[in-house]
Amino acid sequence: MMKRPLSLVAAAALVAIAASTARAQDARLSLIRDDATRDVVKAQLASASARGLPVDPFMSKALEGVAKKAPPKSIRAAMAALEKRMRSASDALGPLSTIDELAAGADALSVGVSDKTLKQMRTAAPGRTIAVELGVLTELVARGVPTKLATKTVLDLMAKGATGVQLTALGRDVQGDVAAGLRPDVALDLRGRNVLSLLPPPPTVSNVNVRPR
Amino acid sequence: MITEERDELIERAARSLAVLPPANHAVVMGIVQAARAHRRARPSLVTQFTGWMRAPSLSVASATMLAAATLVIGFVSGGSFNGAATAAADRGGVIRGGTTLIPAADAGADSRSVAVPMLLDAPSAKSVAVVGDFNDWDPTATPMQRFGGDGPWTVTMMAKPGRHLYAFMVDGVLTADPRAPKTKDVDYGGEASVLMVTKP
Repeated sequence: MMKRPLSLVAAAALVAIAASTARAQDARLSLIRDDATRDVVKAQLASASARGLPVDPFMSKALEGVAKKAPPKSIRAAMAALEKRMRSASDALGPLSTIDELAAGADALSVGVSDKTLKQMRTAAPGRTIAVELGVLTELVARGVPTKLATKTVLDLMAKGATGVQLTALGRDVQGDVAAGLRPDVALDLRGRNVLSLLPPPPTVSNVNVRPR
Repeated sequence: MITEERDELIERAARSLAVLPPANHAVVMGIVQAARAHRRARPSLVTQFTGWMRAPSLSVASATMLAAATLVIGFVSGGSFNGAATAAADRGGVIRGGTTLIPAADAGADSRSVAVPMLLDAPSAKSVAVVGDFNDWDPTATPMQRFGGDGPWTVTMMAKPGRHLYAFMVDGVLTADPRAPKTKDVDYGGEASVLMVTKP
């Protein structure tokens, strides 16, 4: 007897959530005053949704265009480009990726990081979100660090147990060094060594328990 | 206004921002004291504040308390998330009219939003807001307040850890943050300011 009321409650909750989500999307669409732009955005959102991509980053990209007074054509192009990057990021990072990871992965692709690198980063940290790490890599490349060197350094630090806080600090320090005139690759080398010095050393033979035979 | 007075205003603005959230007083005072300890080595108060701004250190507990308190107040007062506030809350929290809303689902360790103080020195501006991917570039979402009548524009906003692109909307005109690194906008052209938010 209890099953039916519970089912009804669950269904009602789902309907309420769906209605709330739709309301939220409508509210954001209402921020777009121009009818032509709103139609473009609606079509692009439908396209992204049909491909199983989260719509939030697309809505944000559209509203960024509105804030920048971009014409509908530019907004359409920007959203289409984002869809391409989001699909690549989704393929590389896997189906269980969070929205933040997909958005960060798409950003990384926009500065020239490869799909292969995204896959490597997912493999390096399979059980946790890597949105921050992707953001740091993107920022390093955006500051002018060669992509290969930035990728190698971030992956190396991740493998050695560097935390998101340490990596973000690394990114900020490199930003500051580059702004002060240091070469990006030199800045990363110096700051990377600094983070390495803070990480615990790997276990050595002497402190590994070996069962005597 | 002479530079010394402006610096004093900026320092007062930094102290004022540090008051949020009130539950985090001890941690914030620690930050302020640490900043003061570094003051001798720093060239100006503006630089000092900028450095502090780049390293938001509000604790997990206080951010969670702030979120919980805000949600409880919202429910008790009969309010509900709607409109653009819901939209931005879906993305991890939004400040609208000084109220911070953080969805409970975002209480996960890595996606938790943290408080980030923002500052712009724009003496002749009539209105300033911060817009970025953390608030859907909505110029009404995160208005900044003038500190001390004619001081710098300030606000403390919530953003998820990671890399964010943003700008200031100064009297309706999008303006890059003069103190932040810039990056090329591959989609719309021009440049955007970059904000790196650290995990709590």
